[in-house]
Amino acid sequence: MTQMEMKKDIIQTELLTKKFGETTASDKISIHVKEGEIYGFLGLNGAGKTSLIRMLLGMIKPDNGTIRLFGKKLSTQFDQWNDIGYLVETPCSYPNLTVKENLSVYYKLRQLSDPHLMDEIIEKLKLTNYWDKKAKVLSLGNQQRLGLAKALMHKPKLLLLDEPINGLDPEGIVEVRELLKQLATNGSTIFLSSHILGEISKVANRIGIIHQGKLVKELTINELHDQLIKKLIVNTNNNESALKELLNHNYKAVLTAEHELEITNSEAISKPELISGLLAEKTYPPKKVFLYTEDLELFFLRTIKDRTP
Amino acid sequence: MKQQIQAIQAELLKNKHSSILWATFVAFGLAPVIGAVFILIIKDADALAKAGSLAMKAKAMNFEANWKSYLGLLNQALAVGGVLVFGFVASWVFGREYSDGTAKDLLSLPTSRTKILNAKFSIYILWCLALVVSNLLLGFVIGSMLHLPAQETDIVFPLLSNYFITAFMTILLGYPIALFAIWGKGYLTPLGFVALTLVFSQIIAATGYGTYFPWSIPGLYSGAGGEYKKLLNDVSYTLVVLTGISGYLATLGYWKVADQTK
Repeated sequence: MTQMEMKKDIIQTELLTKKFGETTASDKISIHVKEGEIYGFLGLNGAGKTSLIRMLLGMIKPDNGTIRLFGKKLSTQFDQWNDIGYLVETPCSYPNLTVKENLSVYYKLRQLSDPHLMDEIIEKLKLTNYWDKKAKVLSLGNQQRLGLAKALMHKPKLLLLDEPINGLDPEGIVEVRELLKQLATNGSTIFLSSHILGEISKVANRIGIIHQGKLVKELTINELHDQLIKKLIVNTNNNESALKELLNHNYKAVLTAEHELEITNSEAISKPELISGLLAEKTYPPKKVFLYTEDLELFFLRTIKDRTP
Repeated sequence: MKQQIQAIQAELLKNKHSSILWATFVAFGLAPVIGAVFILIIKDADALAKAGSLAMKAKAMNFEANWKSYLGLLNQALAVGGVLVFGFVASWVFGREYSDGTAKDLLSLPTSRTKILNAKFSIYILWCLALVVSNLLLGFVIGSMLHLPAQETDIVFPLLSNYFITAFMTILLGYPIALFAIWGKGYLTPLGFVALTLVFSQIIAATGYGTYFPWSIPGLYSGAGGEYKKLLNDVSYTLVVLTGISGYLATLGYWKVADQTK
């Protein structure tokens, strides 16, 4: 049992189901997220990501199934809301209030008693220059920072973030990524949704892919890398003859439509120099040897396509 | 209690820079100003002759240049204008969270949804009471400036009592608007409801059943519909109170159980 597996479940959903009319937003979703884990929840727009986050926050009641947060069943009696920070969909704020006043509203509603928390989060999210600016004049990126500030101000143990990097510039994306990693290192559990696998894979330990309300795949980052299609692309001065040699040596090779050799043996992929040596020895020295790794977005699309009825 | 106070402080903060706040005071403050114009016209025979429709309106209302008429006018304006302006206040206080997109940020907090709604109802009441009192104060200032003849306290006190009873009923009738705001997720639905209640209150009062239609009752009580106050009975007043209570309970119940998808 790994160290992560020994940790307690912070989020536990069992067969969570929710329908809106004919649309199934959540179809028997069971997810377990451990303490300190960053769980990336991936899906196309309308796949059911936001509905699940809203259910985890008690905003939507599931038709069936149960939710446990910190081991406690989510109900109207749930009393650990100050251990949770959240950002759902587009970050919104009171347009006529300044950044600091917006934070003050939630400071009061969260019953906090340390005014430094506001200054601390304003500084951490680089909003210091905007603290007295009205929210309505903030750029989309700074609106997003303000949304994150509201979610993080009270130092929650669990963060539920819906598309947290939306609208951020590249610098902001890197900052938020580092911030999330730092929070997880300090023991916070993070559940974040996105439709960008490339981004999620840079921060998450584990990924769940949702499609049409169903959890179609769940895998760790290592498993993700193992499941990406990898192949060796080779070009020689005589690809037809080179193909025969490769097949004679029991390599899984084909000639592609682009008239290139495509080899999919794991041995060839891990040691491409063996292929180079063999072909050179047989007088077909490679002009090009390229290790192709499937793009994360293609992997995502392939995964959901496999599950589309 | 501390949680409730902090929730009210948060609500106060939300309205700190609100231009709507001042707009409602300006709109509501028109009544004492119009009353002042009536007084000036009535006191001046030349103006009375030239003022045309305003003079006719003042005459039709049996308006006289004294405190009784002036406070009566303020009371009638409160009953009719209050349904509109208080309805606008309720639509704003409860509907703005959806229009600003901030409603979702109020649902999963240590401060319960009931306390957040109670804070909003408190702000609604405070806002409306401020409008009620400000109109009265403005009326006293204007009346004094226009040298209205001093009136016996036994005439003024019942008028003030009527004024605050009308205010109480009109404020209560704003409670169901909160439900329409959170059900309609914005302020268009509650404003539509306010418009409908205004239209129906006039039509139903004209057909003679106004005593049983809650939104007609403050108008009848204030004397806006003529001398119909005596037609009101215990059932009428009970209906107003029940409308307010059921509006409050339905709002709390709906916000606690309904799926929040916006």
